[in-house]
Amino acid sequence: MESGMYDLIVIGAGPGGYEAAAHAGRLGKRVAVIEKQYVGGTCLNAGCIPTKTFLRSSRLLAECRNAAAFGVRVPAAELDMPAVIARKDRVVATLTRGVEGLLKRTGVEVVRGTARLVSRSEVRVDGRPYTARNILIATGSRPSVPPIPGIQSSRVLDSTSVLSLPEIPARLAIIGGGYIGLEFAGFFAAAGTETTVIEVLPRIASGCDADISARLLQALRKSGVRFLTSCAVAAVDGNTVHYRDENGAAASLCADYVLNATGRVPVLENLGLEEVGVDFTRRGIRTSDQGKTNVAGVWACGDVTGRRLLAHAAAREGIVAVNNMFGKPDRIRYEAVPSVIYTHPEVAGVGRTEEELKAEGIAYRKSLAPMALAGRFLVENEAGMGVVKVLAGEKYGEILGVHAMGDLSSEFIVAAAAMIETEMCAADVAQLVFPHPTVSEAMKEAILQLAH
Amino acid sequence: MATPVEMPKLGNTVEDCLIARWNKRPGEAVAAGELLAEIETDKATFEVTAPLDGTLLEVFFNQGELVPVFTYICVIGEPGESVEPFRPSRAGQPAAAGPAEPPAPRQAAAAPAAQTAQAAAPPPGAVFYSPRARRFAERHGFYPAPAAGSGPGGRVLEADLRRQFHETSRTSFLAGRLVESGQEVRGEGSGLNRMVLARDLAPPPVRLSGVREKIARRMRDSLAATAQDTLHTSAAAAGLLALRARVKAARRQKPLADITIGDMVMFCAVKALVEMPELNAELIDGSLYRHASVHIGFACDTPRGLLVPVVRDAHRRSLGELSERAGELARAAVEGTIQADDLAGATFTVSNLGSFGIESFTPLLNPPQVAILGVDAIGLKPVRRDGKVEFEACIGLSLTLDHQVIDGAPGARFLKRVRERIEEIEEICGLEL
Ligand SMILES: Cc1cc2nc3c(=O)[nH]c(=O)nc-3n(C[C@H](O)[C@H](O)[C@H](O)COP(=O)(O)OP(=O)(O)OC[C@H]3O[C@@H](n4cnc5c(N)ncnc54)[C@H](O)[C@@H]3O)c2cc1C
Repeated sequence: MESGMYDLIVIGAGPGGYEAAAHAGRLGKRVAVIEKQYVGGTCLNAGCIPTKTFLRSSRLLAECRNAAAFGVRVPAAELDMPAVIARKDRVVATLTRGVEGLLKRTGVEVVRGTARLVSRSEVRVDGRPYTARNILIATGSRPSVPPIPGIQSSRVLDSTSVLSLPEIPARLAIIGGGYIGLEFAGFFAAAGTETTVIEVLPRIASGCDADISARLLQALRKSGVRFLTSCAVAAVDGNTVHYRDENGAAASLCADYVLNATGRVPVLENLGLEEVGVDFTRRGIRTSDQGKTNVAGVWACGDVTGRRLLAHAAAREGIVAVNNMFGKPDRIRYEAVPSVIYTHPEVAGVGRTEEELKAEGIAYRKSLAPMALAGRFLVENEAGMGVVKVLAGEKYGEILGVHAMGDLSSEFIVAAAAMIETEMCAADVAQLVFPHPTVSEAMKEAILQLAH
Repeated sequence: MATPVEMPKLGNTVEDCLIARWNKRPGEAVAAGELLAEIETDKATFEVTAPLDGTLLEVFFNQGELVPVFTYICVIGEPGESVEPFRPSRAGQPAAAGPAEPPAPRQAAAAPAAQTAQAAAPPPGAVFYSPRARRFAERHGFYPAPAAGSGPGGRVLEADLRRQFHETSRTSFLAGRLVESGQEVRGEGSGLNRMVLARDLAPPPVRLSGVREKIARRMRDSLAATAQDTLHTSAAAAGLLALRARVKAARRQKPLADITIGDMVMFCAVKALVEMPELNAELIDGSLYRHASVHIGFACDTPRGLLVPVVRDAHRRSLGELSERAGELARAAVEGTIQADDLAGATFTVSNLGSFGIESFTPLLNPPQVAILGVDAIGLKPVRRDGKVEFEACIGLSLTLDHQVIDGAPGARFLKRVRERIEEIEEICGLEL
């Protein structure tokens, strides 16, 4: 068996698993990644990438409808759902080949099957034993199914099954106003579906800064999405969603389909975690900032840790774990992990929100700049809404959080992440040159307002 | 025939070398194999030796100059021969007519060939930078703490500095400002490329205040100059608690000092001291001074640290008077208005940690005093009475004595006296409530 020993076995080929495996492969290690379903994981096959291709189509549709404002006449634009799905499949196929190529180039062995830990150094894949000095668990997450009567009915979709809906429904009810629910709401509303989002909290996108989430609510309402906030779904009965409104009164809503977007839970079942003694809770496997679990030689990264359910966080966690297991100290710093919601307008943020600063008792200053300050924003968006909010330390002006709404904030938020990583202060940002004309200039403007 | 000497290529990546030192001057005779110059790459020092016998006709570069490899650096030949065919052309400037600055005369004209390798070690503490290293330091404004380099005799080479420059942790923008404002770096940076972040900083150590310094010295001296031994016991506290309850009730009716349990124990200690003056004493230069008067010091926690105000002539005071005076002094100590006179002259000390729930401790003596009484918390203790176990409120007492002059037995007798006084406090206090 010793001769067959791997340096690393990764369970799950999502962004956490495949990035880690490829990184270890590049370091010259003997690596296998075990995947039961699809290389690329949720992200590539049922998450980030498919939803972004859908949203690209709906955005193009909205742009066509608004094309006259840009001096372009487009006759009747409409969505061709089978073609949208076909394009998504093409993009996914291309990217999957890319990941497979990456694993091949880096010498990573891909093993198809379902893995289960039997000890800290042995994994069984559908019964076959594999041994390794290190095991990295990257099994990801799946949609949560809350205990709502009727949620199992065939009219209730989740974020995966909705991706293969061949038709545009006339009416769609979405349970959950988190980023997944909001992205689908934006897509279907643009496609002409009468879309209603039911959210139990008084606000949507609850991880976002409250100012931004309020503006996003307004923007999405304007684009035709209906919101029922502070409303708790009680049951789903055929085409009807029963809920309690903000006053606790019973109410209901009819829809052709219901999308369950209530969040995601880590994939922990049948992994042998109990037998090997790996510490976990309902929310995920407990890990250190180095990616270690409580069991030596067993590591975890990505959604299965329940820390930040984002593809780029998963990838970084995986690489950090690999670095540590092969003797290079590394750690992930969650303070500077950006997050994006790809609605139209899109939302991007990094660092702490104003609510978090208040809760932690950190003294701060803030500024809010309209994106229309940046010429490029007007050029690109015509009448679109956009704003950048910056939070900085009271005394030294160190950048604590940057939260933006407006297209293409996702493309420049990484600059804010770098500022937070290096603890730049607002005054230091004056030394950076921002290209002109770009939307990022609005961020510069907002930061420089705090530079004194 | 005039023969040029070129700068050798010392390694694949070396593009230029620095002339560290000329060992011969133009006009001097040289023998084949004799050391002409010491040269340096960024990683090591080397030697250039004369390829043949002759006279050093001219050197084309000064000490400290960086010369591309394969460039002629000097010419050896017969006096009078022309060196012009070999003079390297220098970009943009006419060829130098010769070393502008004559090489420093060496101690001995004929330096041994192995000179560089066995260069004398620098005197302790001094660190020599090679010329290339010095140049690097100047360009980068980088002057790390002195440490021996990897060159001969511990000379710091450019490569040493480059490595250190890379390894030196940089500070984040914010951490830089915080360091400027006095914070100090503790441990390795936790940011990108080991960047020192704000969370890697800590406040600088705090210099002890005058009062604290004094306390520290007294505590050290106390332990150094005495032989401390602590005895623990406890006394039934029913009387104390009853009296305290009556005081509280009475205070609702009329003005009265707030007599605390600590005051009561202090009062009992005074009574016991009057009976056993050997503990109301000071040991000075081998003589034991017993005092008839009891001046009782009590430890007091103040914002500036521990102070010990003194109630003078405590033996003449009633419980009410003792308590009132102690209260006044404690307030003054906390507010910082206490007079120096009221902090000196105690013959015995009481230290009360009972209100913090401390069950027993070892109070430190205030020399030259020979004893100190610690007052502990009141707690329940099981006692057997008529064959049954009952719980009784008891107060702990911890007496530290200087075993140089007070043995265990007299110390224990004293504690017993204190205990008896505590248990009969209601009868002896003389309070009319
Ligand atoms: C609709 C939607 C949109 C999203 N959009 C974004 C976005 O825009 N940006 C973003 O950053 N994130 C987005 N996410 C989240 C992102 O997809 C996840 O954070 C990311 O996929 C997590 O990566 P992972 O490697 O931890 O797990 P996964 O990607 O879930 O991969 C885990 C893999 O492990 C395999 N596996 C599980 N158990 C076993 C086993 N026992 N044996 C073998 N294989 C196993 C699974 O088949 C799967 O392939 C989205 C998610 C959804 C659902």
